[in-house]
Amino acid sequence: MRYIYGHEMRQYWKTLLLWAVCVGGMGMGCILLYSGMQEEMEGMADSFAAMGTFSAAFGMDRLSIATLKGFYATEVGTIHELGGAMFAAVISMTMLSKEEDGHTSEYLFSLPISRGKVVFTKWCVICTDLLLFHLLCTAFYGLGFVLLGEGIPGKELLLYHAMQLLLGLEMAGICFAASAFFRQNRLGAGLGMVLLFYAYDLMSRVSPEMEKCRFLSPFSYANASDILSTGEIAAGSVLLGAAVLLLALATARVKYVRKDLF
Amino acid sequence: MSGTEKVIEIEELTKSYGKHRGVTDLSLSVEQGEIFGFLGPNGAGKSTTIRAMLGLIGFDRGSIRLFGQDICRRREEILARVGYMPSEAMFYPGMKVKEVIRLAARVRGMDCDEEAAMLCERLQVDTEKKIRELSLGNRKKVSIVCAMQHRPGLFVFDEPTSGLDPLMQTEFFRLIREYVDQGATCMLSTHVLPEVKRYCDRVAIMKEGRLQGVESVEELTRARAKRIKWIRDGVEEEFLYEKDLNELYRELMGHDIRELLIEEPSLEEVFIRYYRT
Repeated sequence: MRYIYGHEMRQYWKTLLLWAVCVGGMGMGCILLYSGMQEEMEGMADSFAAMGTFSAAFGMDRLSIATLKGFYATEVGTIHELGGAMFAAVISMTMLSKEEDGHTSEYLFSLPISRGKVVFTKWCVICTDLLLFHLLCTAFYGLGFVLLGEGIPGKELLLYHAMQLLLGLEMAGICFAASAFFRQNRLGAGLGMVLLFYAYDLMSRVSPEMEKCRFLSPFSYANASDILSTGEIAAGSVLLGAAVLLLALATARVKYVRKDLF
Repeated sequence: MSGTEKVIEIEELTKSYGKHRGVTDLSLSVEQGEIFGFLGPNGAGKSTTIRAMLGLIGFDRGSIRLFGQDICRRREEILARVGYMPSEAMFYPGMKVKEVIRLAARVRGMDCDEEAAMLCERLQVDTEKKIRELSLGNRKKVSIVCAMQHRPGLFVFDEPTSGLDPLMQTEFFRLIREYVDQGATCMLSTHVLPEVKRYCDRVAIMKEGRLQGVESVEELTRARAKRIKWIRDGVEEEFLYEKDLNELYRELMGHDIRELLIEEPSLEEVFIRYYRT
């Protein structure tokens, strides 16, 4: 199993590096921009906070964009949420289907390794990649804080990135399960799913009618403004996310193990 | 395992793809030390049988035992003793040849560097090249190395020689012969009849998902029909004759026979006749 693990890690390391540098780099760039924009932000903060549902959607009613924490939550948070979830979709949507898409399944499955072990190993690769992605991005943001000469809001930031990791795992789990059903890579479907969940979360924050159903989107429990303003998480949504993840993994395994070679 | 033990035992194998037929009631066995040919046109069910044999696809009915073990229950143990070369030799395009070969060995928990080096030398495989740079023939050679490097007890080759040049085909069969002489067994699915005639001990013929027969190559070419060439009453004729030869002699009485030649039909003719009937 470790050789399949090593093989898969090598297959995805460029993707990991590229996405981590892009997302982490953009986030760090935003943090560094803060000092230059701080004065302007102070003037605009009240206006941003008074834009009703729009302010609520982006969390500007809870955190002032003029503070570094507020700026981080609204700017870096958005980049990281979307970037992290997209990265999760990119690696997991192709993880199982690529064997059939690239006609390599006959090579892989004629080796003495069961499909169940292949599924488990590939999921381990996804977990490792997501963990490394979030560590690298967090390192970029931490570097941004250091370069800016600001203290790092440790506890809240840790909680936020832990939730981001769970969001990534849940998105990856859903895409991984979908990948077990496909015989071709459907990257577009994975990215579309991320955007759909993100848009749903935004709408549920704007529309009072949808607020009760906000928990349906994985983005609901990983919102930067919610976590950084309160230092708490929505435990119910987190549990639901974990349950969806487990269900997705079980689906992926059951489907893939029974699948005939194409 | 003694020389008469069965390495492959398939009983009443039935596999369908929804409404489409795959294989129906297939039963056959292959003994240790045999080179067993598996003949049939496209869609006859050869690849389906092979894939079911290796546990790559499930099946609706029947049983498959390799080395005396049930493939459904002991798949990993069995595959550790099998070298399989699929008809489509596809690998990860970004990997180097040596990485693909080494991965196949390592997953088996073996260090096959020495055997792989010998095979690469004999088959003229450039291990430093990336898979994406290889032609079909060279990918086939990589596939042969992956199937042979761990010195398995059973080789399963699905149309192995398509894409290989004649020199490499000869070298490939020489390697098979060497491994079989050392106790291995080989099952070979192919369309190429001269290969079967030259290298196989027995042959199974498939048609529309059903086994038409299993015979030794010698019997197959000898028993069925005779090729007749004659010049009768000044007219030259050539045909396959399947009836009693005495009847033929009686038919010739009273005719002017200038030339008469009775010979064994080629394997191609036997093969084609199987599919006409």
